[in-house]
Amino acid sequence: MADDEPRISYVERLGRTSMRSVVLVALWIVLAEGDLESLKVGALLAVAAATASVALLPGPLPRLSAWGLARFVAFFAIQSFAGGTDVALRALHPRRPLDPSCLWYDFRLSGHTPRVVFANTLSLLPGTLSARFDGDRLEVHVLDRGASTTRSIAQVEDRVAALFGIVLPMSGEVE
Amino acid sequence: MLEMMTLVLMGTIALAVYRIERGPTGADRMLSSMLFGTSGTALTLLLGEVSGLHRLHDMALVFALLAAVTAVAFVKRAWRAGD
Amino acid sequence: MIPVVDIASTALFVASGFYFLAGSVGLVRFPDVYTRLHALTKADNLGLGLLVTGLALRSGSWYTVAKLYAIWLLVLFASATSCYLVAHAARTGGIPVWRNERP
Repeated sequence: MADDEPRISYVERLGRTSMRSVVLVALWIVLAEGDLESLKVGALLAVAAATASVALLPGPLPRLSAWGLARFVAFFAIQSFAGGTDVALRALHPRRPLDPSCLWYDFRLSGHTPRVVFANTLSLLPGTLSARFDGDRLEVHVLDRGASTTRSIAQVEDRVAALFGIVLPMSGEVE
Repeated sequence: MLEMMTLVLMGTIALAVYRIERGPTGADRMLSSMLFGTSGTALTLLLGEVSGLHRLHDMALVFALLAAVTAVAFVKRAWRAGD
Repeated sequence: MIPVVDIASTALFVASGFYFLAGSVGLVRFPDVYTRLHALTKADNLGLGLLVTGLALRSGSWYTVAKLYAIWLLVLFASATSCYLVAHAARTGGIPVWRNERP
């Protein structure tokens, strides 16, 4: 992983370390529930963690689109509800209705991070579970063949693309 | 009410123990460990609320972190297909 | 405590208990490792989300609210990752996918 990361200049390194330190200090304040006294330790640890982070991942972090993020959070919340309810009803139903299968899905998204976010999102949404990456394909296990199709998976991919501010080819078709 | 919830969560853990007993594969047993991660986090948060000790939130955080690490350890080191 | 908050958080706790229990029932009743993974990742994460929301309503501090949701996000991330790891190991290890043979 680290091998294909670009070499970066001293200034870039300094900039990224400071940016990530600021984010980590904010996280520390949340975790310490507002106890600013604890920043004596926290600030030091945040800088150390940011330095380690830049050493391991020197490249720029992917940018998120604010509008895409807001829409994604709403979509995710509603779909989590649907997914939890769907699987709970199947588990409690006397006949336990399941019709599982596996299908291969061809990525339209490119890039490591967007694909991983997409695969993880699928696993948390109704009826789908990412089982295996293979080049530009993803194997998806579905709980109900009738309910989860390539088309419904493509809709999730569109949402993840919007999160990163990417427009996918043929995305209009599945909207 | 909160006390009832802690009992429900312990019930879920009891069901997971059944899955450990039955298996049949190592992967099935790993699922119970994943459930301990989620239920354990929930249980710790609830106990924090019941007892008023918000420090327990930190413990819940550690539970959540460990849940991530155990799955990696399991897949990389512990399990071979057919176990 | 404000009654509305009290009622809302109690409803959230009851719902959370339902999903946790249903997830575990799925873990026991579903036929193979993949379907059981579905039960865990979906039902339990929703259960935890509802519980966290109930606790957040009662907390009275924005820091605590943020921290509770940070814990939930971490658990979501951990279970999506573990779910993939286990499914991948099972699939490449040759554990067969259960299929519904009933017409």
